[in-house]
Amino acid sequence: MSVSDATTALTEELAARDDMIVCEGVNKWFGDFQALDGITAVIKEREVVVVLGPSGSGKSTWIRCINRLEAHQEGRIVIDGVELTNDLRNIEKIRSEVGMVFQQFNLFPHLTVLDNIMLAPIWVRKKPKGEAEELARSLLERVGIPEQAEKYPGQLSGGQQQRVAIARALAMEPRIMLFDEPTSALDPEMIKEVLDVMKELATSGMTMMVVTHEMGFAREVADRVIFMEDGQIVETGTPEHFFTNPQEERTKLFLSQIL
Amino acid sequence: MTATMGDPAAGAGPVEPWDGERGPAQKPEEPSLSAGEWLGRNLFSSPVNSLLTVVFSLLVLLAVRGLLNFTFSEERTWRAVKTNMRFLFTHAYPQDQYARIWVCVGAIAVLSGLSVGLLARAGRGISMKKLSMNLMATGGVIALGIVLREPSAIVDDEGVALHRDASAAGGDSFVGWLDANAFAVLVVLVLANVALAVWFHLQGTYLRGGPEPRTAHGALVLVSVGVLIVQQYATGEVVRESFADAMSDRAWWWLAAALLAGAGAALWLGLGDARRRNTFVPAMYVFFVGAGVMVLSAWVYPWGHYGFLEGEFINEPGRTVAMTTKLPWTVMLVLLVATFELGRVLRAAGAGPKLRVPLNLLWVLTPFVLYWAVLRDPDLDWDHVLSTDLPMAVFFAAFGGLVVWFLAHPRIGEAGRVIAVVLVAVAALNWVAAYFGWYPMLQKARISFLLLAVVALLAHNFAGDRAQRMKLVAVWVATMAVFHWLVTLVNSPSTVDTPTDALIGGFGITLIVAVFTLLLAFPMGVLLALARTSKLPIFRVLSTAYIEVFRGVPLITVLFFFTLIFNLFLPDNMTLVDIAGATIGFSLFSAAYLAENVRGGLQAVRRGQYEASDAVGFTTVQRTLFIVLPQALRVSIPPLVGQVIATFKETSLLAIVGIFDFLRIADKVISAQSEFLGVKREGLLFVSFIYWIFAYNMSKHSQRLEKRLGVGER
Ligand SMILES: Nc1ncnc2c1ncn2[C@@H]1O[C@H](COP(=O)(O)OP(=O)(O)OP(=O)(O)O)[C@@H](O)[C@H]1O
Ligand SMILES: [Mg+2]
Repeated sequence: MSVSDATTALTEELAARDDMIVCEGVNKWFGDFQALDGITAVIKEREVVVVLGPSGSGKSTWIRCINRLEAHQEGRIVIDGVELTNDLRNIEKIRSEVGMVFQQFNLFPHLTVLDNIMLAPIWVRKKPKGEAEELARSLLERVGIPEQAEKYPGQLSGGQQQRVAIARALAMEPRIMLFDEPTSALDPEMIKEVLDVMKELATSGMTMMVVTHEMGFAREVADRVIFMEDGQIVETGTPEHFFTNPQEERTKLFLSQIL
Repeated sequence: MTATMGDPAAGAGPVEPWDGERGPAQKPEEPSLSAGEWLGRNLFSSPVNSLLTVVFSLLVLLAVRGLLNFTFSEERTWRAVKTNMRFLFTHAYPQDQYARIWVCVGAIAVLSGLSVGLLARAGRGISMKKLSMNLMATGGVIALGIVLREPSAIVDDEGVALHRDASAAGGDSFVGWLDANAFAVLVVLVLANVALAVWFHLQGTYLRGGPEPRTAHGALVLVSVGVLIVQQYATGEVVRESFADAMSDRAWWWLAAALLAGAGAALWLGLGDARRRNTFVPAMYVFFVGAGVMVLSAWVYPWGHYGFLEGEFINEPGRTVAMTTKLPWTVMLVLLVATFELGRVLRAAGAGPKLRVPLNLLWVLTPFVLYWAVLRDPDLDWDHVLSTDLPMAVFFAAFGGLVVWFLAHPRIGEAGRVIAVVLVAVAALNWVAAYFGWYPMLQKARISFLLLAVVALLAHNFAGDRAQRMKLVAVWVATMAVFHWLVTLVNSPSTVDTPTDALIGGFGITLIVAVFTLLLAFPMGVLLALARTSKLPIFRVLSTAYIEVFRGVPLITVLFFFTLIFNLFLPDNMTLVDIAGATIGFSLFSAAYLAENVRGGLQAVRRGQYEASDAVGFTTVQRTLFIVLPQALRVSIPPLVGQVIATFKETSLLAIVGIFDFLRIADKVISAQSEFLGVKREGLLFVSFIYWIFAYNMSKHSQRLEKRLGVGER
């Protein structure tokens, strides 16, 4: 089987999967400044997409539009069949299906690690306390820090905090996980422990959209790489295609700067 | 006491630095300094430091001497305060109902004991080292006070000081000379200190930290203290005791100083350095011992002064205030100790986290129950209770319970919103009807409906499984029970007969107004702060307007408005009694300030916290309750406590609107009694002292709270 055959097969297989995130002509302005300019993309179930681009290109803005931390002004965003509109009920539904991990962790400092993870399942998912705690402990196990359950976020290292943040998002049993530069605030020796958790997550079949500067992660884990600049999607492709044979000048320039 | 001794692991606390894979490291012990070393390092470590120490200790000693001489002067009529203890604390609350006061004090003792025993993460308490040092220091300070005080004047049978001829005063003994030139002598002594400081500095001794500077400066300070003492024994116009008489007159004080210092020294010597450091007693035990000694002493010796009982001065030896209240005080102390121990037992059994919320609720509820059910002794109309109050309470509990059960279903969806809206409409219509007088209905039914509507709106935020919904229903039923019971009590006339509408006066009313003010103002302040930071402009504008109006108006105007003018706007059959008006005025005023403090806290909550809450799917209500407010309130503890203390002290304005509060009794009532005509300063000093004790404790408590919640640690 040639490379192109394999690609075709993969594309066909992908096409058969459900659409998880659909963006059509999404525009967003901050005042007069256009941060997103005609974003159109489809992300399939179990797909791992890495979004790259220079600083200020709108990566965060896009990913934040997907769970309505920012509101887009034009175009359509459909998450797992539900369109994001001003309707509060849709927003609540989508937020509980989309987990998000932030660059700055944003753990709740006044709650223990366990409570950080349990709070949303109990109050949003209406899970009984015991069940929620069981879930929280198993998730801590999964991200490799079961022994930190009773501590407060301020007592953990950055890498541990970010893993708690991932567990907190997973506790909602989301169908999609969004990561906005999850390792950018971490010391180098902690980056790996977080990336390992993310790789494991990708292997388990989670639909993921990841903004990151970790090229190694993009190469190894991503099904697809999206390159953005000035609020537009410049180029899309498999990591192999993207890193070895980029089509666009701007992509080449970007890659030459960071690689 | 032994239970907590030698248990260093008990107080290790949850906050340890992250220690990765390493085992827990042992913190090296700091070597303890001797007193001399401590002085050398902290008070005489450099020339400038030494001079500051010398000058400020002289100033402090002068001020203390002045205060002691004022307090213990034969011109002071402390009898005025001792006699009027009852007046100062409860004003005209009837003597035959006094047991009710003790029930209130007892209830507070029980709650305090439980709370402190159960919740206060007292850490390890006070170390024996600190305890013995404090005991010795207290003994030392008392001893210093005894010698620093001037000799008492010799008085005649009526208590008037004996005078001698002006010409015979003075004399040219050494003491007389010292008295005449005290200021010059002290200046010379300070200059000598300056010279010493310079000399030692040139020698470089300060840098090496040798003992000479502190010894030399210390000797000069002692000489200065000697001047301050000896000077007062010069012969003046007033005939005073000799030094020997003064000291023997103060034998009881000497005994107290010796006992305290002796106990401290015995502890210090009895335990080795390691045991002194590592043996801890709960701080409450120290308080218990102190209070126990005072209470027990009343059983042994009739100290104090006769009191003002049943409207007249009781002038029998043996019927001092201490004697007539020793039994209730003993009971109070026993209650406090017993509940403290109970709390500790429960805590040890791991019941702490479970009891925290009920206990806090009890604290909130207690003032209402104590005031309306205990102090006011309500005269219940049982026919009305059985025919109207009880059925209505049962109806709202049952109906509301069903509504809550239904609306807290996780999948209630659209139907829930519709029901909530209908209930809100009904509640609103009830008030419109009340305004036009259309539809007669008891006010509490309207309030119950309003509560139900609010609960209906919020219910889906707290939805959950069956157990969770049962809990919500139980909370609703309990709320209705308490609410209807309290309203029934409030609506019943009081059987306690007092000359003023305030029921109780003195410190009692000060506390009651302060507590109710805070209970009303706190929720209002939080809501105002949330409204002021809300996204909806209407809330923002209203709240800002409210806050700015109340912050721009003097408190006294607000109080006058609610005690004098407000009644003019009320319907004919309604009046607001002064005390309620004043409480409302205080609450509205404090709420504006509290709101600003909370707003400061809200601004300190980072944007990421909002985003993270939104991202996990919290509703705005859940986000506010679980994430934003807890963090905001923590940050604003220092200013909030400042505001609480301010409100507590501001209640002294009650005097101006005609209520017999603590200050007014000291200021106006006592000084008008025929026996104490014009005696004011003693009462004012006493009142300030009590205010200070309370304010100081609040401030201390807030510091502990801050530490415990780790404000500023992030
Ligand atoms: N709240 C805001 N108000 C105004 N402008 C904004 C706001 N948020 C983002 N922007 C602007 O939108 C543009 C895109 O920002 P965005 O944060 O999405 O970039 P990014 O690709 O995530 O960059 P980085 O790699 O630095 O995180 C930037 O020029 C930024 O200044
Ligand atoms: Mg970004």
